[in-house]
Amino acid sequence: MISLHPQKEFVFPIIAEGINPDVFQDKNRGEIEELEIWEGNKQKKLGELFKVKETGTEPQQEDIAIVIYGDLSRVRRIGAWMKGGEITINGNVGMHLGEEMEGGKITVHGSVGGWAGSMMKGGIIEIHGNASHYLGAAYRGSSQGMNGGRIIVHGNVGYEAGAYMRKGLMKIYGSVGQFAGFRMHNGTIYIQKDCEGRVGACMKNGKIVVAGFLESVLPTFTIESIRKKVKIGEDDVAEGPFYRFLGDLTENGNGKLYVLKEENPHLSTYERLL
Amino acid sequence: MELLIRNGFVYDPINSINGEKMDIAIRDGKFVQKVNEFSARKIDASGMIVMPGGVDIHCHIAGSEVNTGRLLRPEDHFKDFERKTLKTRSGVGRSIPSTFTTGYRYARMGYTTIMNPSMAPLEAKHTHEELNDTPMVDKATYPLLGDWWFVLEYLKDGAIEECARYVAWMMTTTKGYAIKIVNPGGLEAWGSGRNVSCIDDQVPYFGITPREILRGLCKVNKLLNLPHTIHVHTNNLGKPGNYLTALDTMKCVEDLSSEGKPAIHITHCQFCAFKGSNWRSLTSGAEEIAKYVNNHSHVTLDMGQVIFTDTTTMTADGPFQYTLYELTGNKWVNHDVETETSSGIVPFRYRRKSYVNAIQWSIGLELALLIEDPWKIFMTTDHPNGGPFVYYPKIIAWLMSRKAREATVQKINQRARSRSLLPSIDRELSFYEIAIMTRAGQAKALGLVNKGHLSVGADADVAIYNINPETTDPSTKYRTIRKTFRNAAYTIKNGKIAAKNGEILEHVKGATMWLDVQVSDPIKVTEGMKRRFREYWTVEYENYPVTENYLEISHPIAVKADV
Amino acid sequence: MPVVKAVPCPVCGSLCDDIELTIENGKIVKVKNGCAMCESKFLSHNSEHRILKPLIKRNGKLIEASFEEAAKKAAEILADANYPILYGWSSTNCEATRVGLELAEEIGGVIDNTAVICHGPSILSVQQVGIPSCTLGQIRHRADLVIYWGSNPWSSHPRHIERYTTFSEGRFQRSTWKRYLLKVKASIVRKKIESALRRVFFKKKPSTPRIGGLPPSMLREGRKLVVVDVRKTKSAEIADYFIQVEPCKDYELLQALRALIRDEEIDVDKVAGVPVENLEEVADLMIKCNFGILFFGVGLTMSEGKMRNIDAALSLVRDLNTRTKFAIMPMRGHFNVTGANTVFTWQTGYPYAVDFSLGYPRYNPGETSIMDILLNKESDATLVVASDPAANFPQKAVEHLVKNPLIVIDPHMNVTAQMADVIFPSAFVGIEESGTAYRMDHVPLPLKKVVNPPRDVLSDEEILRKILSEVRKLKEKKLVEVA
Repeated sequence: MISLHPQKEFVFPIIAEGINPDVFQDKNRGEIEELEIWEGNKQKKLGELFKVKETGTEPQQEDIAIVIYGDLSRVRRIGAWMKGGEITINGNVGMHLGEEMEGGKITVHGSVGGWAGSMMKGGIIEIHGNASHYLGAAYRGSSQGMNGGRIIVHGNVGYEAGAYMRKGLMKIYGSVGQFAGFRMHNGTIYIQKDCEGRVGACMKNGKIVVAGFLESVLPTFTIESIRKKVKIGEDDVAEGPFYRFLGDLTENGNGKLYVLKEENPHLSTYERLL
Repeated sequence: MELLIRNGFVYDPINSINGEKMDIAIRDGKFVQKVNEFSARKIDASGMIVMPGGVDIHCHIAGSEVNTGRLLRPEDHFKDFERKTLKTRSGVGRSIPSTFTTGYRYARMGYTTIMNPSMAPLEAKHTHEELNDTPMVDKATYPLLGDWWFVLEYLKDGAIEECARYVAWMMTTTKGYAIKIVNPGGLEAWGSGRNVSCIDDQVPYFGITPREILRGLCKVNKLLNLPHTIHVHTNNLGKPGNYLTALDTMKCVEDLSSEGKPAIHITHCQFCAFKGSNWRSLTSGAEEIAKYVNNHSHVTLDMGQVIFTDTTTMTADGPFQYTLYELTGNKWVNHDVETETSSGIVPFRYRRKSYVNAIQWSIGLELALLIEDPWKIFMTTDHPNGGPFVYYPKIIAWLMSRKAREATVQKINQRARSRSLLPSIDRELSFYEIAIMTRAGQAKALGLVNKGHLSVGADADVAIYNINPETTDPSTKYRTIRKTFRNAAYTIKNGKIAAKNGEILEHVKGATMWLDVQVSDPIKVTEGMKRRFREYWTVEYENYPVTENYLEISHPIAVKADV
Repeated sequence: MPVVKAVPCPVCGSLCDDIELTIENGKIVKVKNGCAMCESKFLSHNSEHRILKPLIKRNGKLIEASFEEAAKKAAEILADANYPILYGWSSTNCEATRVGLELAEEIGGVIDNTAVICHGPSILSVQQVGIPSCTLGQIRHRADLVIYWGSNPWSSHPRHIERYTTFSEGRFQRSTWKRYLLKVKASIVRKKIESALRRVFFKKKPSTPRIGGLPPSMLREGRKLVVVDVRKTKSAEIADYFIQVEPCKDYELLQALRALIRDEEIDVDKVAGVPVENLEEVADLMIKCNFGILFFGVGLTMSEGKMRNIDAALSLVRDLNTRTKFAIMPMRGHFNVTGANTVFTWQTGYPYAVDFSLGYPRYNPGETSIMDILLNKESDATLVVASDPAANFPQKAVEHLVKNPLIVIDPHMNVTAQMADVIFPSAFVGIEESGTAYRMDHVPLPLKKVVNPPRDVLSDEEILRKILSEVRKLKEKKLVEVA
């Protein structure tokens, strides 16, 4: 296990693609300290910004575990492209956490910045605090969002969670901002609490479950039925009853939007159309 | 400064030099008879190939539509970037690189002259501003004139000479180099959401046909004595069965050629050599086109080769781009330009396993191999339409090696494989023929007197490739070919060593060439003309021209017209 | 008296280029053809708040300095910075922006333009959906349906309607100016009668009921003007049809229209306060026109939903092209904001919010955009060119902006300049300095130098070049020291 401790309070954005189990593999402490890292517009060595400690067993493990302590809210791109291993962050962390990751696990005991798990293809990200905007979304101009893996957030999430999502599961135990599941192609998003609105806008396919309050459903969704329960992921079921809407009509979509009946009595007007 | 390139195998087709071992001397940016052997800087090119710098007759690198393509696709460039160095500017790449990167990447491949083929005259300043920021290469640009209202109106009235005077004015006003015609008549029709279906279809509101536009501008081109022919993107581009339109287009100016000189250039011919009545029955029309071109001397072509990759298509052909959007559902940009033209952009991925794309890939190579005379067909990808220009080395390998082609044919769509003509073609091009298709032929077709050859007095643009033609058999060593042409050992621009083994040594600025067409009775700027201007465009006459101060290094070429 | 013709007006994105200026003793004394904004800019550019000498802050006070001194000071600030920002660029020429990009690259900074606070969301959506558009002349010649959405051209782009849209005369479409005059006359008469009645009967001003269905003028041949906005603006008054959308509900309205033009049924009766029947009529109108154009302004880009509003608008217009010819265009504000985006894009691949800190261009608005950087307190120096962020950014952002060294290049002593550490007075681009600017439809126009700037006042481009060369000197010195 390797642990990292910030040497100081960071002021400028830190680009830390090097903090990645794949990169740490087969490297001893000295080599890890030499890794490239950017602080603002200055190229630095990882050792200059972080104190690196080796604890426990020898470095050449199969699955490297990295544990980071401290406030990393300005540190970006941790675990980007990682294929395996584990990162645990005790504190807040910055943008692009686990961007395009393919495997392994990232756990955050704190909150994360925008674009966490953006374009990820596999692996797990578990966030015990809040997550900011564009969780699991696509890069600017791209329509390739999250394409596999799982993201679990215990807190609240900003807007556009799961935009352009294609595959995978996003479980949010808090509430979310606008445009969750925007233009999603497939996959599942579960929202335990409230949803700010415009959920599932332009979705083509996939499933969004809102178990909290949703002020209004977009006019381009059409009510289809009331369901007793909904399957979420492999082995999880949410108990309803749920209103089931289909949409988005604007995209000739076949997306399913489930909204918990109990929390949303104002949507009962839709029942006359059933 | 003097430079001496020693002992290379020289390929200079314009001077019929085919792999002779000789020295090339350079002084002050020009080739000279000889230089001082002791004081001149020497490059030892023994065991290497020496060619004139590469010339690209058709690549979209600057201007409104190219730049909108860049803006449209951050996801295309964010992983392909070039860092700033002490010598070079930074930038991004992939299908539509930023301007500096475009220059560097061309220079690395040994290219020194490139032609930007599509410029809306109203937005010409934009094109020139970008060309100023495209280093390492000399460049020129073609104004789009085939759907310009002035042209349509004069040609309808049969006023060829009047039309010629206006075209001459436009060429000089926009600092252009050749008459570009895209889907003649179709772009004007697209202004109101329509298109034309063949070369004899009427253009709505204007009472003229594409045939009349093509013939008219071909005559204008001749009257003005322009160095290049009309540069034509045919009607019906990208539609099954369009090889007939391409043949019609070539035939319609057959009688306008004199002394066996070319009268028309059909650009990115691959895209208009489709046989069949729909996408399922699509096959190659390359054989028919090659047959026609082999029997006629008034046509030159370029390939428009397709590469299996993700790219960005962009043409002035608005209706074609819309069709492409409908086919793919990808993001789509349309930009119609008042009184002049239109344009469109759609990202596109050519897939090996797609039947249509695989056939397209095959057509490009078939054309290049079935047309016997390499002076008639040139290597392009219609960058970035068929694929980014950085893939040129791949095409060279396919052209030089049957094995290279076979290796790819094995990987393409099965049905396309069984219909491809490529397995039946044995031809493998030599270095000499490659030199024609990538520089000499292109320079000749463009009428660039000082480019594409190594004669004394010509511009000292040279590409040296580290490959020994005596010991390397391109037929079997196609991977070596690819690698060699990717990074020239040396690229020499204006007598300066600009790039070496892929590293840019100097940020050299290139000139912008344009035609100063001199007619005996030039257009006079009367109040009437200004009024007409206000009616046709939304800018004032005074603000329309590209004044010479827009060109950082201006290289006017005087042309004496017959009107 | 010399008269300069065909001068492009350096005020708004319409970039009208038919302005005639009369010059007397090196001063502009008369402006012809321009709107009120144009006149005031040309006539009063030289009168107030003009700085004439570079200023440097010493002991909390701004003191006059030589150009050399100021340039050196600015270079020191920028060369030492770890995460500097270069901001502005929409009210200067493309030539200055080119140098600005080179400077940003040299110092490893972030360069951003004012698009970030107006049409940045539009660009982000264009990058997702694309944009079917055209030049303004195309609209003048062909458009028979003109829609302004969240934009009030009557006051923000005063000559837009007259030069490019409904009141302009095109080859295939006539101006509807006369129809408008009749309508105005009729409405004045009606108002007179109403007020007379009110005076007689002491009644309150009657609230005009929302009438369902299209007004008769919409059924007529010829071009039509439709305005969609949250309130009845001046532009809405001249429109043939006005759709009042509930605040922050533009997205729903656009999406509903998208569904309707696909002939889908809608479950609800009203969207964004507009009855679905009315929307059906509007959708029908859109489909049946020969050439439609949708202009959208900051009312759409900066209201709730932001870039996704534009996503919906772009998608709507794109979808309409399966039925007819339709185009869409953002109403760009500053005269050269389009130019700034254009130059940024050709040099770096990205239109705004470009971060050079790693030695190559990176782009991610939300991360590399000035507002986010300031709010996250990540920058340590700022250079502002031809803009006044201190006057229009949120308080928190301004606090961080002025906490760190701040350099301003501007003709005016604006709010930002008053808080700056180094100030360079500059020439007015388009009046005292030539160069290129891009109209909202990407048509480049040559700005004119019609009068000389005050003595010793240089152009943005010259000032930036000087700073760049000073930065390079400092860097070379550092390299030598290291060696």
